[in-house]
Amino acid sequence: MPTIVTVGLGSCGIAAGANKTYEKIKAIKESDKLDFKLKKTSCVGMCYREPLVEITDETGTYLYGEVDADRAVEVIEKHINQQDPIRNYIVYTDLFDAPENDFIGAQVKIVLRNCGYMDPESIDEYESREGYEAIKKIAADQISREVVIDTVLKSGLRGRGGGGFPTGMKWKFANANKSNDKYVICNADEGDPGAFMDRSVLEGDPHSVLEGMIIAAYAIEATGGVIYCRAEYPLAIKRLNIAIKQARDRGYLGKNIFGIEGFNLDIYIKEGAGAFVCGEETALIASIEGERGMPRKRPPFPAVSGLWKKPTNINNVETFANIPWIIIHGAEAYSKYGTEKSKGTKVFALAGKVRHSGLVEVPMGMTIRDVIFKLGGGIKNNKKFKAVQMGGPSGGCIPEFLSDTIVDYDSVNATGAIMGSGGMVVMDETTCMVDVAKFFLDFTCKESCGKCTFCRMGTKRMLEILDRITRGHGKEGDLEKLEELAYQIKDNSLCGLGQTAPNPVLTTIRYFRDEYEAHINHKKCPAKVCRPLLTYKVDEEKCTGCMVCLRNCPVKAITGERKQTHFINQEICTKCGVCFSKCKFESILLS
Amino acid sequence: MSDNSLNIILDGNIVKGFPGETILNLAKRHGIEIPTLCNDDRLEPFTSCYVCVVEVEEMRGHQPSCSTKLTEGMKITTNSEGIRKSRKIALELMLSNHYADCIGPCKQTCPAGVDVQGYISLIDKGQYSEAIALIKETNPLPAICGRVCVRPCESECRRNLLDEGAPVGIDYLKRFAADYDLASPTKYVPAVKPSTGKKVAVIGAGPGGLSVAHFLQIEGHQADIFEAAPKSGGWLRYGIPEYRLPNDILDQEVKNITDLGVAISYNKKLGKNLSYRELKSAYDAMVLTIGSQKGTGVGCAGDDAGNVFSGIDFLKNMEITGQRYDFRGKTIAVVGGGNTAMDCCRTSIRCKADKVYVIYRRTEKEMPANPIEIHESKLEGVEYLFLTLPKKINKNEKDEVESVTCIKMELGEPDASGRRRPVPVDGSDFELRVDFIFAAIGQKTEVNFIDDINAYAGYGELKINKWGDIDADKATLQTGIPSMFAAGDGVTGPATIIEAIAQAKVASTSAHQFLMGLPIKPAKKPFTSKRDNFKKQLKEDYKGTFKSQVREEMPTLAADARFNFSEVELGYAGEAVAHHEAQRCLECGCAAFLDCDLQKYASEYNAQQKSFEGDFREYLVDFRHPYIEIDNNKCILCARCVRICREVVGANALGLINRGFHTYVAPSMGEALQDTHCESCGMCISTCPTGAISENVSFKPGPVKFNSAETICNYCSVGCAISLHHKNGFVLGVNGVNGLLNCDGNICKYPKFGYHYLNDVSRITKPMLKVNGKFEEITYDKAFKLIGEKINAVSPIENAFFAGARLMNEELYLVHKLARGAAKTNNVGSFHYMGRGEGYRNNCEMNAPIAQIADASAVYIFGTEINLDYPVVGFMVQNARYLKKIPVVIVSDKAVNAMSHKVDQLIVVKSYYHFIKAVNYYLLSHGLENALFLRDRVEGLEGYKTMLLKENFDTLVASSGASTDAIVSFADAYNKEINAILVFSEKETSSNTSKELFNLANITGKLGKTANGLIALKEKNNSQGLFDMGISPHLGIGGQEISDKEYNMRLMKKWGVAKIASEETECLSGVMKEGVIRNLFIFGEDPVGCAVDRESVDKTFSQVSFRMVQDYFLTETARVADLILPASFPIEMGGTYTNAQKVIQNFEKVMKSGPEKNSLQQISGILQEFGISTPDNSRDILMEIISLLPPEREAGKLLMRPTKGDNDKRSYEHGCDAVTKRFEEEFNIVIRKL
Repeated sequence: MPTIVTVGLGSCGIAAGANKTYEKIKAIKESDKLDFKLKKTSCVGMCYREPLVEITDETGTYLYGEVDADRAVEVIEKHINQQDPIRNYIVYTDLFDAPENDFIGAQVKIVLRNCGYMDPESIDEYESREGYEAIKKIAADQISREVVIDTVLKSGLRGRGGGGFPTGMKWKFANANKSNDKYVICNADEGDPGAFMDRSVLEGDPHSVLEGMIIAAYAIEATGGVIYCRAEYPLAIKRLNIAIKQARDRGYLGKNIFGIEGFNLDIYIKEGAGAFVCGEETALIASIEGERGMPRKRPPFPAVSGLWKKPTNINNVETFANIPWIIIHGAEAYSKYGTEKSKGTKVFALAGKVRHSGLVEVPMGMTIRDVIFKLGGGIKNNKKFKAVQMGGPSGGCIPEFLSDTIVDYDSVNATGAIMGSGGMVVMDETTCMVDVAKFFLDFTCKESCGKCTFCRMGTKRMLEILDRITRGHGKEGDLEKLEELAYQIKDNSLCGLGQTAPNPVLTTIRYFRDEYEAHINHKKCPAKVCRPLLTYKVDEEKCTGCMVCLRNCPVKAITGERKQTHFINQEICTKCGVCFSKCKFESILLS
Repeated sequence: MSDNSLNIILDGNIVKGFPGETILNLAKRHGIEIPTLCNDDRLEPFTSCYVCVVEVEEMRGHQPSCSTKLTEGMKITTNSEGIRKSRKIALELMLSNHYADCIGPCKQTCPAGVDVQGYISLIDKGQYSEAIALIKETNPLPAICGRVCVRPCESECRRNLLDEGAPVGIDYLKRFAADYDLASPTKYVPAVKPSTGKKVAVIGAGPGGLSVAHFLQIEGHQADIFEAAPKSGGWLRYGIPEYRLPNDILDQEVKNITDLGVAISYNKKLGKNLSYRELKSAYDAMVLTIGSQKGTGVGCAGDDAGNVFSGIDFLKNMEITGQRYDFRGKTIAVVGGGNTAMDCCRTSIRCKADKVYVIYRRTEKEMPANPIEIHESKLEGVEYLFLTLPKKINKNEKDEVESVTCIKMELGEPDASGRRRPVPVDGSDFELRVDFIFAAIGQKTEVNFIDDINAYAGYGELKINKWGDIDADKATLQTGIPSMFAAGDGVTGPATIIEAIAQAKVASTSAHQFLMGLPIKPAKKPFTSKRDNFKKQLKEDYKGTFKSQVREEMPTLAADARFNFSEVELGYAGEAVAHHEAQRCLECGCAAFLDCDLQKYASEYNAQQKSFEGDFREYLVDFRHPYIEIDNNKCILCARCVRICREVVGANALGLINRGFHTYVAPSMGEALQDTHCESCGMCISTCPTGAISENVSFKPGPVKFNSAETICNYCSVGCAISLHHKNGFVLGVNGVNGLLNCDGNICKYPKFGYHYLNDVSRITKPMLKVNGKFEEITYDKAFKLIGEKINAVSPIENAFFAGARLMNEELYLVHKLARGAAKTNNVGSFHYMGRGEGYRNNCEMNAPIAQIADASAVYIFGTEINLDYPVVGFMVQNARYLKKIPVVIVSDKAVNAMSHKVDQLIVVKSYYHFIKAVNYYLLSHGLENALFLRDRVEGLEGYKTMLLKENFDTLVASSGASTDAIVSFADAYNKEINAILVFSEKETSSNTSKELFNLANITGKLGKTANGLIALKEKNNSQGLFDMGISPHLGIGGQEISDKEYNMRLMKKWGVAKIASEETECLSGVMKEGVIRNLFIFGEDPVGCAVDRESVDKTFSQVSFRMVQDYFLTETARVADLILPASFPIEMGGTYTNAQKVIQNFEKVMKSGPEKNSLQQISGILQEFGISTPDNSRDILMEIISLLPPEREAGKLLMRPTKGDNDKRSYEHGCDAVTKRFEEEFNIVIRKL
């Protein structure tokens, strides 16, 4: 067995410099005429360790982390040439205890089964890993549409885009509506700040999404498929295009595919222009039709009247990626994982103040705390865990004391947050919850399509109130006004964007009311984030009179002689924080 | 109700709903009004405003009723506290970004709320009495206020920002209109409601009392005024000197009020010679408008000296005694800085005083007096001692004033009034020698009758407040005694006339409610959006949009001519000045104020603009389109304009730009609207629920309350019902109404923007005879006589009569009667159809009703650019295409045409005739005809087929300009389509082509079937009427052959004539060309102006020796006439048109103006010259027409009509109608497009 060197070339890897690593290894291999196979793969989820290089030789598999071009030279020299793996750099291996063994070990990989383990641009590799076996099995065993739908239904798979609607049920409805033309759409418009699950799947395993779509198309008798992918995912689009071409070339897309008479399907990609609201299915359909991306009232649901007014089934990337596995391994195998009402696994994107920011796939039912501490490695810089935002801007903040909540649609909903598509933004004690609410609301306010009065104007007015509060101009009654507007917006909006936009505000008020009150009543930001509420003072004990702060102050608010204690004139100070960051003696106090 | 109806519980009641029906519609059917801003029945539900929310049991949140469809067993609540709260917040959120004014600051500021912008717009149109009527809704004393009002409106006028310190001359304009009205024989007299039998006593005939009496009298109560003084007016007469307000103006306005039935008893002072006890028994209610007339003294030592008076006593004495003081050689000091001080000092000058001082303790800037008064007084020689306070009055031995010791002041800190408080400067005393001192520093209310009242009140008590004024409820002005109300200075202390009038309105409304036994409630204040709620208005906000315009100054008496009591201000010189000043109005108030849904709901839900204050968007108004303006400041983003343009019009000219808070509506690609696919139909305006998209008009739209006059559009042959919005005959705008044809209320550019001719003042109003090349007015009798003589002077065939397709059936019939019965000629026809063959006559037979377009499975448009010429039918096609995705195919001779972007297929041809003939050839030669239909329903197939098949298919194809493929696929598609409707118009289609289209419809068996066959469109509103009313050499009424002897007998009998036209006219155009005609009578056509070949028309006309033209304006044809008769607009007569679907639509006379004798009366008058009696009104004429209709016949078979070749198209543009021509030419110029 030849030695294989694989470089992770997902967006995260490339951003960390993996292209250079790859080029370097390639150059060494060519110049030194080394005998190993150089391969590409995608993200394995360990984004915090990128660039990653995996070496598989006769002895086993070794995953090297943080391999920049220089380290690559070292690794190749030692490991390949001298057969001497560098233990310090190895983050994961099945041969000995490596630092990230737990990270991989605690996961159950169904959706991410191929991500980071194969070349996403190779259909052969996909096929070598059970690829297209599900649909081939359906064709070979002449499994009826009803049975396929039933299998999905029994698996307990629920929509992974965030809605959590049973996928089999959705297919059943779409199948029930007869029409000459039907469509299956893959929603790849992942837009939550801090979420990148779908991107990783598309970049790492595009064929599994195609196969999932083909199976869905078979199940509902669809005649056309569209992947609605945001244009900000160029690598995903590139790999999808390669995959579609490969599938067409093999006859997996086209007429009478897989030998099933009358099963005609082609799939094309529609690039979305980056409107968050286009992740909402009716807005997404409008966008594909060339209209302004605005939602409309449901019913009629897309299963009745969708794209071009034809019955349409829309699932998200992660949902589709589950399908082939379920067909091959059976509904029972899938439903073995998870809780009573939430089956299978869920992919989470860990971001924020967590040590291991990256992708994890865990069985439903794991506690949030375990996800963050066991897989996420806990909080960065040994700070205190404060809360986690789940479900992106539509979700809510779950405070530390509720972190034993299990990952399951209903349990998460009970906290006021939502499962959403799987974004987990972790916050520590230095995070101001008012500021966080403002951040998410700013996002939804900007992303509102402008159609519904409450979403368009209400989010704007809420944002203005939050802005006022963080600038120290909060007034009595602001919280009540925020809550009133929040409930009105939730009750009076057409789509999920408006209906959930106030959630971050509502949950932060619910769990961190005291923080709001500190801002409003005492003009204080307990987390010391909201600058206008801070006072910068010189610690007379520590000040050495070095004059660095004085020289750097842009408004000349600091006075003092050399080697004398300095003084900040609060009347002039604009609270820009330059003195704080410039002081080498930690003698600028924040309060 | 169908079997599959749904059971719904709507607000607790079990009702039936239809599957697919929305909650909004269900509620509407059951009389529950749910407010909505984004819904329009013509459009698919959109759901954006969220004002229409309701609660549905078991559904989360609120449901928008406009788009929530009914399901079985639904439980709906349409009104609850939660719903009302949501609706209110929705409105408030919209309003928080509605940077716009509902009404201008002038009206906002006016205490009485006089509609300034409204009356200025009426003055702009020369409607002075209408302006006064509008003013008198809130202010019964316009001529008085037009002279002496303190004009808070003018201080707030935004013109001040633009032309610094020169507001619109609001008050001068009011005075101008009021003076005009007073002098007018048709001056405005308000309608007095039937008597209620209730009586009110009004105490005091000052401005408040007069106004109260006015308001109550017109409500039907008997208002009697009791006045203490010998004459009426109160302060107006006894306080304001005559040089400002002449007594005769006062008398005239008082007379206007007494003319309504108000009685005034003089020298009756309450508590003195008038007892409350008596009043109480004689009257049902009482209003105290006693004023505040007791003067106060100077308030310093020695102010009891002789020759020291209160200013008002000084002024009043002169008025009561009728004696002017003689101040020759005297020095006068007036103390105070208000308007009374001004009146005193300027009166003293007029009493020939040597020197007049005004002593005022602050500076000129703080003076409460009207600046113009200060200016005038200085001009007249008054001297001012500012920052001066009288300290002591020094007496002479006679105890009279000799001098006054004053002290200088300086300004300190601002006091409660915001003005800086004057403080004395120590040691600055000085002495001023004076002979008289008038104190004009305040008045008090005299209430010495109060005990008398309370002694007999019985129930309740009249109280005095801490300032010594009458205590009355602020909102209703009801006093402690329920039947007693109070208004004016007596309540407020000394204030202004306009405030007294404002209070009079409130008190009279309350008194009215009291008298009628209604709960006493102040009028609810409607919601008004204000730009000032968002930011202070600055010059920059107006500079770009408006230009500076110099204010018309008020002409005044020369300063040296003022030593008398003649009125100083002379009034505007004339209408031109008033018009110019009116033009300066910036129209701050919204033109849509009276029909704005946002304003309506905001008032209903008590929404506040500032509940959700924050950032707001400010947009420039887009005035680029000549008819349509877009003001995004007022937009609520309901997208109705965007959607109607897409779903119904199909132009897609408007879109939403940006997202979220930054979303706005704009023409596509940011172009000017006219540079997009915009068709200028105005449908966007028709659907806008606010004033965001409105008509860009050249006149001041007001807004003013208008009258709506429903009528039928007289442009094209569709026959839409429209509503003319007019104020006293001046048309302010046109809307569609739900008619027979346009049942959804749609209209197009023609009526929407083509109404300006109705306001044109250059209209012909009298008969005019050309004498030596110039037109001179003559009488109707002379004109009729002349016509009679001319007709009789020649042989019958030398007369020719023409009538236009714009005219009503009744007019056409009379022309036909005139020609055949009086002139005995069959030379009668219309230029409209002249030279175009007779094939158009049957175009309307068996047409598919246009409403069935909605049920078609495919629509073929043949030739016509339907969106330009027949937009309303075009809308139906587009809407069917949008909703049901039905294919639309156009066959056109233009590769690029106005429909290209709205159709699914374009077939380009060179010759419509050959194209359709090739289609027929193909179908018949391949045996594809509908044999069954042809066998049962059609005659003449064999002859037609033989003739057609003799021709060469390839030649037909070649001549058609289309490919064989195109012809074959068109033929097959049309033939096979289940519900195919083919729409064509006579404008593009020759008469032989239209015959061949009929043959096609026969061959394919589509005629007369539901949603199938043909729709023929004619050019003008009454093109069909020409055929039906005998405007043809060969046809009589109802298409009867003129050669029919029996018909002729009936005509003679009905008309009472022994003979009618006998000679046949083979071809009228031939006769015209041959030069036989010597007399030409043209009714409502403009062949000269509309000629395609002008030269030949000129030649034909020059061969004629006498030309008569009846029309509205001096058309090009009228210019070359010898005699012109003034035509009436149809809305001045009422009558009928027959549209392209042979629907006869009746419309009423809706306007009174027009020539003294209307068009019908004129023709009737001419007939009288021949001894033929004829009714002269539409109704009776119509009865005569009906009596001449052919007897009912069984429907025969359809005919195949062979043609030999193509024939001519039109010789005249614009349907030969000057009105159509005028609008189409204007349209093409202003829109700069096809």
